Amino acid sequence: MEIKLKHLTKVFPGNAKKNIPDTTAVNDLNIDIKDGELLGLLGPSGCGKSTTLYMIAGLKSPTDGEIWFGDEDVTHLTPEKRGIGLVFQNYALYPHMTVYDNVKFPLTNLRVEGPKKATKIIDNLEIIDLIKNHSKEIIDIILSSTYKNKLSKDASARKLVYKYHIVTSQAVRLFKLGLQYKKEEELNPYIEQVINDLTLNNQKIEEQINKFGYTLNEKYEYVDKDDVVVNQKRKLTKDEIDALVQETSRLVQINEYLTRKPNELSGGQQQRVAIARALVKKPRVLLLDEPLSNLDARLRLQTREEIKRIQKETGITTIFVTHDQEEAMSISDSIVVMKDGLEMQKDHPQEVYNNPKNLFVAKFLGTPPINVFNGYIKNNSLYIGEEKILTSDKLTEDKEVYIGIRPEGFSTGEYVKDNSKVLTLNVAQIVTMGRDMSLVCKHDKFIGEDIKIIIDSDIKVTIGENKFAIKPNKIFIFDGKTEERIYF
Amino acid sequence: MESKNNWKAWLYLAPVIILMAVFTFYPILNSFYISFLDNYNYLNGTFDGFTFDNYIKILTPFIQSGPGSYYEEVMQIALPNTLLLTIITVPISICLALVIAICLNSIKWFQKIFQTIFFLPYVTNAIAIGMVFAVIFDTDYGVFNAIFGTANHPWVTPAYGDPNSKVNYWSAVFALCFYIIWSSLPYKILIFVGGLQNIDKQYYEAAQVDATPKWKAAWKITIPLLSPQIMYVMITSFIGAFKEYDSVIGLFGTTAGNFDSTTGPKNMETMVYFIYSQISDRATRGGVGLASAAAVFLFIIIMIFTALQFWVGKKRVHY
Repeated sequence: MEIKLKHLTKVFPGNAKKNIPDTTAVNDLNIDIKDGELLGLLGPSGCGKSTTLYMIAGLKSPTDGEIWFGDEDVTHLTPEKRGIGLVFQNYALYPHMTVYDNVKFPLTNLRVEGPKKATKIIDNLEIIDLIKNHSKEIIDIILSSTYKNKLSKDASARKLVYKYHIVTSQAVRLFKLGLQYKKEEELNPYIEQVINDLTLNNQKIEEQINKFGYTLNEKYEYVDKDDVVVNQKRKLTKDEIDALVQETSRLVQINEYLTRKPNELSGGQQQRVAIARALVKKPRVLLLDEPLSNLDARLRLQTREEIKRIQKETGITTIFVTHDQEEAMSISDSIVVMKDGLEMQKDHPQEVYNNPKNLFVAKFLGTPPINVFNGYIKNNSLYIGEEKILTSDKLTEDKEVYIGIRPEGFSTGEYVKDNSKVLTLNVAQIVTMGRDMSLVCKHDKFIGEDIKIIIDSDIKVTIGENKFAIKPNKIFIFDGKTEERIYF
Repeated sequence: MESKNNWKAWLYLAPVIILMAVFTFYPILNSFYISFLDNYNYLNGTFDGFTFDNYIKILTPFIQSGPGSYYEEVMQIALPNTLLLTIITVPISICLALVIAICLNSIKWFQKIFQTIFFLPYVTNAIAIGMVFAVIFDTDYGVFNAIFGTANHPWVTPAYGDPNSKVNYWSAVFALCFYIIWSSLPYKILIFVGGLQNIDKQYYEAAQVDATPKWKAAWKITIPLLSPQIMYVMITSFIGAFKEYDSVIGLFGTTAGNFDSTTGPKNMETMVYFIYSQISDRATRGGVGLASAAAVFLFIIIMIFTALQFWVGKKRVHY
């Protein structure tokens, strides 16, 4: 589902009496999200990214602008009519329900419209197919599921459901058939008998249906006298709900925890349950509010891979909100950087890093953060203090600028080829971290305290003054007043 | 370190412990003791030895009948009345309080004002409210009869100057339950509103995204998440209902209702009413022993009910 935000604006009214001004949380936001895209909304807290997400969800109404899902204007639709799945920052799993009930909950409200099917016949046929072709495996599975030295119905049902993608009621029927208790020589005759019984049963059901004036087509859908497939609007049946819950929990890998309560799960597992609950009703859009912020560092890495995998497998258009640039860079297909309710830049993650549009974006992305110096342009050259670090024909206008240099943009020692374009920094501290080396330097034109530099650990650096050459593609120049990028 | 500081802890706890010991623990144990004394006179402390008579008199209602008999009061009047009041008022008042609390919690305007209004009965004197209700249910000039067009129906007292007018027992029960439910609502509403405000709003947003109807959200989310508070209110209001006393005095006065001369006075008597009346009427003639036995009996009933509720709550309450 393609999503378009057109001039989206949200103003939280202030209070004129108490002299509280209006707050513009989101200001004229225009974003196009492609079908199947994973988009990250990135920005510092208070930049309006969560507000944007909740407006897309329908939990907050926009002051101005429109939201389009495909060619449907959903701006004034209530959340339940938008077909979205929302994962809250703290998951909001119902604590009194088991994982199964949590995932099931959205489905109990769902009404579907579709051809009326003879589900009993279809169920029977599936069972016939299974015992015809997989009876040995089924028996093995049931015999391997014991609880307290007795065959366990629940355990074998769980395994059968997982293995054959059937619903729980069918699995229980398989268990109750009692194949596992039959002797080798009895087995085949018994299976034949069961198949016969089920086929007879199916015939009876079909006769019953015919009595009411309907016939069945090859998909076992009800067809009336005029050869029209009968449609019905109805709630999902227990088996359909079970099938969907099983399918979704298989996707996010929570099958093992279905009978537990949320507080018996780890943060990552809870997160997956929350995603399952959002996905189970097959929404058009998946929205994630700070999906990783409640997880510890290791789980975060794991879960973000997981989210990416689930998103790719389902192909669902996904929007997620984060303040963590690393998170946004690592999973999203494209990111939108926001500040004070305004869109700063939208692009592929690497492109936003390599080509920031303005000082804010440059500062916001990257760890360690970009080093920003006060500098100026004079005679087609770029200066920090007295030192010229760059010359370009495109730098035509002489003015004060901000110069941003990525930590990996420095090199020194033998790599300094052109002594006319160097920056002298006072190295205060050297930390070797295996392959790389981290330097902490000082410079009086630097904005902030410590300049952080990452260079190859082979390079020789000494404490004190060092001359550094700077890679031109790691230098970004920003206008001293507008903070917009000056390209060279 | 720990043992060194221990005496300090005891020191700080001492005032409360001493007060509790003197005014709670000792009286409880003592009433156990007194319940086994024969003809105990609490003014001079004399008694005629130990006996089970007090319990026998309470538990076997038909030993001695006729005018002036008090033995049958417990099993025939006080206990049935108490159980009836409990069974009627507790569920109704809890359900009402729950509905009111959910409504209060979902309105935005005047929420604080309404909360205050609903809480007012709690801080009003019980006897005063009882007198107001006596006026409301007055036979000749009562508001209740006027509103519902049940002219001159004697709810609490017979019509003035009409010897044929008698109060029907169930009318009196209705009036009393009406009063008890009304006066016990505020505390419950307060607890429920507090519990509701602790429920994370995100559960409802999640439910809304999933197209959950309002009633279903209330039934499937609010009530289970409020179950600890419901449990607490259930236990305390069961105990409170078993101890019902001042409402009887407030509505029916110190005769506890005298509807029919053939059944004798005290038609609306409750357990605690019986206990108090034994102490005041027959204090020096062994009444205290009888009252103590009744108190112990009530204590056991309450304990059984509370244990039952905890047992039920184990499955239904989600902490």
